[in-house]
Amino acid sequence: MTTFVFAFLGILALFLGVFLITRRNPVAAAMLLISDFVILAVLYGLLDAHFAAAAQVIVYAGAIMVVFVFLIMMLNIPNEQIRFTRVTNIEWLLAFVGIVAAVIVAQASSLGWLQTAFPNAARILPNAPSENTRNVAALMFTDYLWSFELVGFLIIAAMIGAVVIAKQGRKH
Amino acid sequence: MSLPELGLLFSVLLFLIGLFAVMFRSNILFQMMGIELLLNAANLAFVSASKMVGNLDGQVVVFFVMTIAACEAAVGLALVVALYRERSTTETDDLTLLRG
Amino acid sequence: MTETNMPIIVQTIATVLKIFVLLGIALQVAPIMTWIERRQMAVTQRRLGPNRVGILPKLFNNWGFFGLGQPLADAVKLLFKEDFFPEGVHKTFYFLAPVIISTTAMMCTMGIPFGHSVVVFGQYIDLRPVSLDVGFLFLFAMSALGVYGVALAGWASNSKYPLLGGLRSSAQMISYEISMGLALIPPVLIFGTFDLQKIIALQAQGFWGIFYAPVSFLIFTVTMFAETNRLPFDLAEGESELVAGFLTEYGGMRWSQFFLGEYTMMFTLSALSTCLFLGGYELPFVTHEMLLSFVQKLTTLDVAFAQWIVVLINLGVLILKSAFFLLLFAQVRFTLPRFRYDQLMRLGWKVLLPIALANVVVTAIVLGFIRF
Repeated sequence: MTTFVFAFLGILALFLGVFLITRRNPVAAAMLLISDFVILAVLYGLLDAHFAAAAQVIVYAGAIMVVFVFLIMMLNIPNEQIRFTRVTNIEWLLAFVGIVAAVIVAQASSLGWLQTAFPNAARILPNAPSENTRNVAALMFTDYLWSFELVGFLIIAAMIGAVVIAKQGRKH
Repeated sequence: MSLPELGLLFSVLLFLIGLFAVMFRSNILFQMMGIELLLNAANLAFVSASKMVGNLDGQVVVFFVMTIAACEAAVGLALVVALYRERSTTETDDLTLLRG
Repeated sequence: MTETNMPIIVQTIATVLKIFVLLGIALQVAPIMTWIERRQMAVTQRRLGPNRVGILPKLFNNWGFFGLGQPLADAVKLLFKEDFFPEGVHKTFYFLAPVIISTTAMMCTMGIPFGHSVVVFGQYIDLRPVSLDVGFLFLFAMSALGVYGVALAGWASNSKYPLLGGLRSSAQMISYEISMGLALIPPVLIFGTFDLQKIIALQAQGFWGIFYAPVSFLIFTVTMFAETNRLPFDLAEGESELVAGFLTEYGGMRWSQFFLGEYTMMFTLSALSTCLFLGGYELPFVTHEMLLSFVQKLTTLDVAFAQWIVVLINLGVLILKSAFFLLLFAQVRFTLPRFRYDQLMRLGWKVLLPIALANVVVTAIVLGFIRF
């Protein structure tokens, strides 16, 4: 039952993805992307990553994509100005097909790889869904503390960068 | 197939979709949406791997990826605004200034 | 307190019943609140307000029973209006926007616990439709999605004023959501859980959350107004500047869906605030066990029946406490004038955000000293 729901939602997410990258209207694409994110959040929930699911909806769908939609609406580019494909050449297409083929081969041959690569990892935590948030937080603020601080620093840098870019544009 | 295996499969396919958008769409907004798809595919892979292996490290990495996505969106969208102000286009093919 | 060992059909039935209870409450808020607001506004501004449409027109001849029938008449009027698409709108999104608003608002409501867990056939049943580990983050996530309804309504209308309204609203909601999220961190730090039922139980043992985190309560109350687009933050509608903002091109049932969403959201945020800061569904100074034994003594009933009476009391307490916030919404609406847009942004980014951040840091430091 769970597997069926998971497969259905996953396929739906893929279809939304294909649908999204073939749109011409950016607002429609953004909306499809948001629904894709929400579906992915449900997938995370089914994989017992409840906190990641909540963060996915709050951060991705609720914050990043709002900025996207805000910008698209503010620029309000007419659909005619949006070209569908770049002036593309055969090498790019071949490269893409090559990547697809390589990925499919790699995927097919390595499904059991992860379990053998991390046989019962040393830091196994009880992954009961009722304690997910606490356990993720505990891990994030012990083993990953430095990464956490670095990422915090990165986002401040990005914020300042965005402000600087926006301010520079205003001078003209 | 078990859930994590399915998740990994979906993440790969989603990654390919995102890659297609980044490689073949000429509009910068769509390219950025493609990048978001790529990052989300990575997240799905991390969560699936976390479930498969049975520890939570993958779920922690998801938050770092989200933070990086937020940074990317903030700076990227600011650049798009600057671009639209300067050149009044969002097509990457029209940005031929460096070509001389 | 888990429901996992129940057969799936029982779980489904229980969940559906819980959804019905919450929806039953949340959807009554809009009609009742419109009546209260209009009457109260009329009293404040020395007007008459709706006073004719009565439920029992024959009995109260001309007086009309305070016009209580007005919401009903309004609903009928809106239902029978023509369902139309204005020329030039983006039809899909014009249709979807009100749906998104009302759906996300109702989904939000599903995270609210409305009573202490009950025991049925030896199984605990949590009285809230969604019991996830992330607790009220679910509610927060759904409210974050609500902004797309407003933004899309503005964009799909393909008209100047609605677009401005939609843009204003999305900027406003991002700005205030940050403060709102930060304001909720101190209670989480203090109670150590995201689970609203656990938070309420802890408040029943100790004090209400408002005494632990008064600053959070203030910030949350302010941001509540901004998140629901209510005065003094209703710049997305702003009838004196933008005609009716994102609602300009809407009419009939679509318009009332927005309306329903807004009032449902008001109720949900009120209930959330109640659960976090005002002790939720528990009576003050009375724990669940005390109440249960009191009810048992009074009615000489079995626990199996007495617990349902307690649930009714809990429900009543939750509604009363939320009504406090709803009346605050109404009172503020005709007390304060609307902000100017730059003032709104300044308040959000330069006042509320620093206070909220300082609040988090101070709470964390104080807690660190107390606990270690």
